[in-house]
Amino acid sequence: MQREVGALPLAPALRARLAAAGFQTAQELLDTGPCGLSKEIGISKEEALEALQVVRQECHGDAARAAGGSGATRKCTALELLEEEQTQGFIITFCSALDNILGGGVQLTKITEICGAPGVGKTQLCMQLAVDVQIPECFGGVAGEAVFIDTEGSFMVDRVVDIAAACVQHCHLIAEAQQEEDHQKALETFSLESVLSHIYYFRCRDYIELLAQVYLLPEFLSEHSKVRLVVIDGIAFPFRHDFEDLSLRTRLLNGLAQQLIIIANDHKSAVVLTNQMTTRIGQSQSTLVPALGESWGHAATVRLILHWDSSQRLATLYKSPSQKESTIAYHITSHGFRDVQPPAVTPDAGGAEGNPRKRPRREEEKQ
Amino acid sequence: MVVLRAGLCPGLTEEMIQLLRANGIRTVVDFVSSDLEDVAQKCSLSYKALVAVRRVLLAQFSAFPANGADLYEELKSSTAILPTGNPSLDQLLDSGLYTGEVTEFMGAPGSGKTQVCLGIAASVSLSLKQHVLFLDSTGGFTASRLYQMIQAQTEDEEEQAALQRVQVVRVFNIYEVLSALQELRDRLSQQVMSSVGHLKMVLMDSVSAVIYPLLGGRQSEGLALMMQLSRELKTLAREFSLAVVVTNQVTRDSSTGPLKPALGRSWSFVPSTRVLLESKEATWEKATTQHVASLAKSPRQPTGIQVELDIG
Repeated sequence: MQREVGALPLAPALRARLAAAGFQTAQELLDTGPCGLSKEIGISKEEALEALQVVRQECHGDAARAAGGSGATRKCTALELLEEEQTQGFIITFCSALDNILGGGVQLTKITEICGAPGVGKTQLCMQLAVDVQIPECFGGVAGEAVFIDTEGSFMVDRVVDIAAACVQHCHLIAEAQQEEDHQKALETFSLESVLSHIYYFRCRDYIELLAQVYLLPEFLSEHSKVRLVVIDGIAFPFRHDFEDLSLRTRLLNGLAQQLIIIANDHKSAVVLTNQMTTRIGQSQSTLVPALGESWGHAATVRLILHWDSSQRLATLYKSPSQKESTIAYHITSHGFRDVQPPAVTPDAGGAEGNPRKRPRREEEKQ
Repeated sequence: MVVLRAGLCPGLTEEMIQLLRANGIRTVVDFVSSDLEDVAQKCSLSYKALVAVRRVLLAQFSAFPANGADLYEELKSSTAILPTGNPSLDQLLDSGLYTGEVTEFMGAPGSGKTQVCLGIAASVSLSLKQHVLFLDSTGGFTASRLYQMIQAQTEDEEEQAALQRVQVVRVFNIYEVLSALQELRDRLSQQVMSSVGHLKMVLMDSVSAVIYPLLGGRQSEGLALMMQLSRELKTLAREFSLAVVVTNQVTRDSSTGPLKPALGRSWSFVPSTRVLLESKEATWEKATTQHVASLAKSPRQPTGIQVELDIG
């Protein structure tokens, strides 16, 4: 197990000193011991001890892996992953066309990005998902809790109350129609108060608070192990203004993306981000593209773009590892996200009603 | 810059090292390049012992030149060409992926890099019955899509076996990648056939996702780690005759400039072949998309060839 010194997660200054002193493999470091090490490279005994602890951890991790145990590493065959994926649930959005193009709904363990112009319904979809993740399993949901990180301040509690009430009502109607015992039992715990109490809300005002929140999230998630959805509403907002050093922004965003992927994977939860749109001025025309640049486009696994077409709202699946690109239409009603034509079977006919709360579509905003 | 240590070779004792160090000879390079008669006189050590030690050190640490003809024979017998399963892509790559080399697929988001990697994994695992190692750093590996691709190519019950030959490791930062590659190297050199089998391909999707958080700003160690990763990949490819495939992002110089591959000029020397994937529409509003692959760098074919890809 000859790990090279350059490949160990030590501080760069320490690594430079070790290389200058001629250490090449981790085994040599361990053989020297802390006293010899501190004498050779001129660091204090405590630092040498800390460094050796890190090295020992890495080497033991390697040894455990080589012996056949694969507990800590994320290694498996494609067959095992397929079985895992087939038993995993989706978070439905109550708009069946959108669920269809997403392949069943928002997938767990993946990052989904929702981009759109202002007013098209990104925050509405996030609030809908925060409610839908809590649907009990007998009704086809995931029975999890939600973390909502808000950077723009657009989270309105009374709107969530409306959406949650409609969702609970929908489940009651299904239970009455199907009359099964576990439905009744699940309904006892699935009520408006329980839905609201399982949405954990964080408000971050600038990018430092956002980064801190995301890096502290794994601890929070290990305490609240039922969380299945992390929503960050407005990831573009804190990063778009007042950033002089663009390379710093790219680095921070990429680090954030990797951290979110780790969270999604380790805690089996879906991560949903919302992004703004910006204009790219080309030779002959200008187009609307998602904000935060080209490199951010690689962070999300699934990308959904919401846009207007005269007065109809459309959703396009732009990037997905398993579904084809397609566009569907949707509506936002007083009950939340719904299809344009309500399917005939469901009892709630909230499909095509006008909503007094819905923002009126003004002509100036048309792209 | 290996420091002289007791036990590095037989005949190199602790007292010898102390004497050498007192005269300013600390590393192997110092020892081998110094005049041994001079050293024998100054350190009062026997000349014969010093010559013996030098011979062993040279054998251990120097590289041996090889004859061009021998090298050609060796390459002819050890290089394999793995077809990608996509005839137009094979045409672009001069009949497939060559083992012993690093091939790179780059493209904008949504241009089809992960799909191409999954297609290659499906084809190698199913038709060639070789093992594939897939290092996933973006979370974009979807087993159901791989299953779909395998099902499209065969009707029998070989699907399960094909899926078992693809091993997936999720690595989300650079140190995990390096340790996974190191572990692979240890296993291959110890020739543990049971778990690794006939490993012929390593796919890494994507390499820029783990390196981007390190680059930029005033940190210079990002480049060092990137070069370390490239060294690991190339050594694996060459020593064990594997085909290594990586995916990369593209960036622009300014908001309207042409697309160029990410990770800069230092990385551009690492892959021997580079393919740029593009989806034909500039906007996302149209319903049909076509994927185009063009050859940006190749040791065998003229660059600039373009083919249309059909990603299922």
